Amino acid sequence: MKIAKLDARRIDWLITFALALATVFWLLGVEGRQGFGRDEGQYFRAGERYWGWFEELGSNIAHGELRRSFTAPVIDRYWSDNAPDHPVVMKTLYGLSWRAFHRCHCTGPTRGLHPIAVKGRHITLPLFARESTAFRFPAIIFAALLVTMVYRFARGWLSRPPAAAAAMLTLAQPHYFFHAPIACFDAPIATMAFAVGFAYWKSLRSPRWGIAAGILFGIALGVKHNAWLMPIFLVGHYLWMRRGDLRARRFPRPPLAFVAMLVLGPIIFFAHWPWLWNSPVTRTRMYINRHLQHEHYNFEYLGLNWNNPPTTTARKLIRATAPFVQTGFTVPVTTLALAAVGVAALIRRRRGQPVAPDGLDEETIAAPGASPSWLRPGADVDRAPGAFLLVQTLGPLAVLAVPSTPIFGGVKHFLTAMPYLALLAGIGAGRLISVLAGLLPAAGARLRQFAPAAFAALVCLPAVVETRRSHPDGLSHYNLLAGGFAGGASLGMNRQFWGYAVLPMLDVINRDEPANRAMYWHDVIHDAVNMYKRDGRLALDVGDMGFGEDALRRSQSGILFYEKHWAVYEGWFWESYGTTKPFMVREREGVPLVTMYRRGAP
Amino acid sequence: METPSPSRLTRRAWLAALAAVSLLALVETASAIVAPYRAPTDADWRAAAAAVRAGFRPGDLIVAAPAWADSILRVHLGDLIPVEVAGRMDDERFERVWEISQRGAKSEAGREGTVAEERRFGALTVRRIQRPAVGVRYDFVARWGDALVSRRGPGTASVDCPRVADHFECPGVAHTSVRRQIVEVDTRLRMALLAPPASDGALVIEYLGVPLGRTLVVATGLHNVWSRKEAQGPVDLRVFVGGVEAGTFTTRNEDGWALHRFDTSARVGQIAPVRFEITSPSPRARQFALAAEARFEDR
Repeated sequence: MKIAKLDARRIDWLITFALALATVFWLLGVEGRQGFGRDEGQYFRAGERYWGWFEELGSNIAHGELRRSFTAPVIDRYWSDNAPDHPVVMKTLYGLSWRAFHRCHCTGPTRGLHPIAVKGRHITLPLFARESTAFRFPAIIFAALLVTMVYRFARGWLSRPPAAAAAMLTLAQPHYFFHAPIACFDAPIATMAFAVGFAYWKSLRSPRWGIAAGILFGIALGVKHNAWLMPIFLVGHYLWMRRGDLRARRFPRPPLAFVAMLVLGPIIFFAHWPWLWNSPVTRTRMYINRHLQHEHYNFEYLGLNWNNPPTTTARKLIRATAPFVQTGFTVPVTTLALAAVGVAALIRRRRGQPVAPDGLDEETIAAPGASPSWLRPGADVDRAPGAFLLVQTLGPLAVLAVPSTPIFGGVKHFLTAMPYLALLAGIGAGRLISVLAGLLPAAGARLRQFAPAAFAALVCLPAVVETRRSHPDGLSHYNLLAGGFAGGASLGMNRQFWGYAVLPMLDVINRDEPANRAMYWHDVIHDAVNMYKRDGRLALDVGDMGFGEDALRRSQSGILFYEKHWAVYEGWFWESYGTTKPFMVREREGVPLVTMYRRGAP
Repeated sequence: METPSPSRLTRRAWLAALAAVSLLALVETASAIVAPYRAPTDADWRAAAAAVRAGFRPGDLIVAAPAWADSILRVHLGDLIPVEVAGRMDDERFERVWEISQRGAKSEAGREGTVAEERRFGALTVRRIQRPAVGVRYDFVARWGDALVSRRGPGTASVDCPRVADHFECPGVAHTSVRRQIVEVDTRLRMALLAPPASDGALVIEYLGVPLGRTLVVATGLHNVWSRKEAQGPVDLRVFVGGVEAGTFTTRNEDGWALHRFDTSARVGQIAPVRFEITSPSPRARQFALAAEARFEDR
């Protein structure tokens, strides 16, 4: 067999490639069932506008007017969309991907639904039937990158089966899986948090990775503001790893990775965002303040609606539990149990020992006689993998545990912790595989060969099945401990946000009488309604009456997303439509997600 | 560095972990596969609704347990749940409660009654619960048209707020009108009088001829989640029965829908004026909501 000739390095690349491909195909295979959230609708619009700048740039170059594209009015015309909210790495990729890969029906009846003028038929590589898929493709690629990076990182410590399990358990988390294929930033920033962490880890013994850490940090700053926190966690680990210096009353050498992050990070961040160029200081301040003073949107947690920082001690205590309880109720329980085993294994590990008994040990053990320098600051010490995973996993959760921090995004606010949690689970799986190997008879060579892979598959199975079960309503899904969809509802855990869950109802709306098409869309943003129409999933003559009470009163049909704070809207339906009887309810496992009312329905 | 061989206890702990994780993986997988089939189907709901319809009498209450299934219940039986019942002040006036339950849940409304009838329809259980009901002599929200509304400034004479179409409007004062409407208090809907406090002085709502029972029950709360987010000011309510102050209480954002009971047994059967005076030291964005009933009995 040819495969027998593959060396270990090639086998690993083969597995890496297979994991990437599996991730891309799984996500592409199911993303079409998931509707468009509020934010995603805005990023579709912004991404297409940003593309508009590139289109005009091309035109200006052709006319010898390159400088025109860099004038303040032209930059602002395109790049002020969704500013100062978020930097533009992902939105730009979404816009470019759309332009490159959609199947153009752009000059047909949907021509007027684009945020920029469609000048003619687009010549594209028409990979995707839906425009929305073309927008989403870069997010899917980022998810695949994350899965492969987790595998590569885990391979530094673990044998192949638990490393592959860690990679799979990264993807097979219902809430991460919800965010992975959509054109937003929460899954991509999880990828970047892992990439920066990975580069930093490697940089402790390799200077070129120090430069890479700086570049990756700059890109992360351009993906989402979570990146601001990354250096804090890394500094925490670095000080712990070099605690010998502190004990000796020596200040640890600032490593190349931190220097590179400090220098390259801001340069890349500034260079990537044209909106900043015209007024760098003022606009950077606007961006930072936007997030430091972010509103507390409504969010349900343990039956309470949270929309302000808590003021009483009891409420502060409840609020502080949110990220931990949300993790405990959303990550598949087997993954959590494996992570607990992984933590136990790391606690028992002594300096200089490998992370897993059957794994590689070159990653953690200091080279004999190695001397440290700012280029290789981890050359002479154990790199403290336990502390590294601890800060990377608990750090994002701890930030969200501060009661004054808004929690409106639920798990997505600390999604950056999840790949590291999966890595802990992989370490747990590795430890248990070595226990299992010890139980198998020495004579059963075949059994000993396949048992690790079988065990890795077994522990991934519940996560994959739960993730499949959750789709496309990952935000409503809760794990075995919580009792699934119904258990989450009974516990008063948040059921959804962003108004994405309407997609399965579009067929009903499309079949509705023309007289009922004055539609109140509630939390479905107009950009999302437009995209459903551009995708051919919503009839073009279905109206959008706008947002708020007046819009609802003008409508003939309307929907209402279940979120605790939206109850007041249901009261408006009762009053305006004269009934408490919905026309239909979209539910998952008996739990209502979206209620539809129709005026005059029997 | 050589790894020391683990102790017997440690080996057993790892073995236990291996067994536990393996078992957990199987249980979690099985649960994920089976759980969707435990949810009630549309056919279950239709059958349960038909059973309720067959036995329903006007004045019955129909509830879902857990309460989060309420909107699905209303798809099937909403025509039997008028706005006044869906937005009821509390459950105490209902003698017969139909509870459609799933996953072993029990409703708040059915808690104090006895099960008179119980039938299963797939994943749903229909129970008819018989409970001791209180008689309502006077519903202040339903009789909102009887009210006289006025505004009394500090040290000034009372100014009448005449009725204009579906509400009372206080002249010259922005955002001070009293109306009967569905309010949202603590993210639940109630039928109530919306009576925002005036920027100075008191908003007065008076019912001149109220037939009193043994108890006067007053429910209060602050309407609208956005207003509760925006402001924190308390609202004070003074209640007068027959010209005598029966009590004063304060409503804050976190109080939810609060029920207050006044013993009127000394005046049972009498007709008396009942007056509500609403004030707030900080009335911005305070959408005060009020409901009240004069009841024969209190349970």
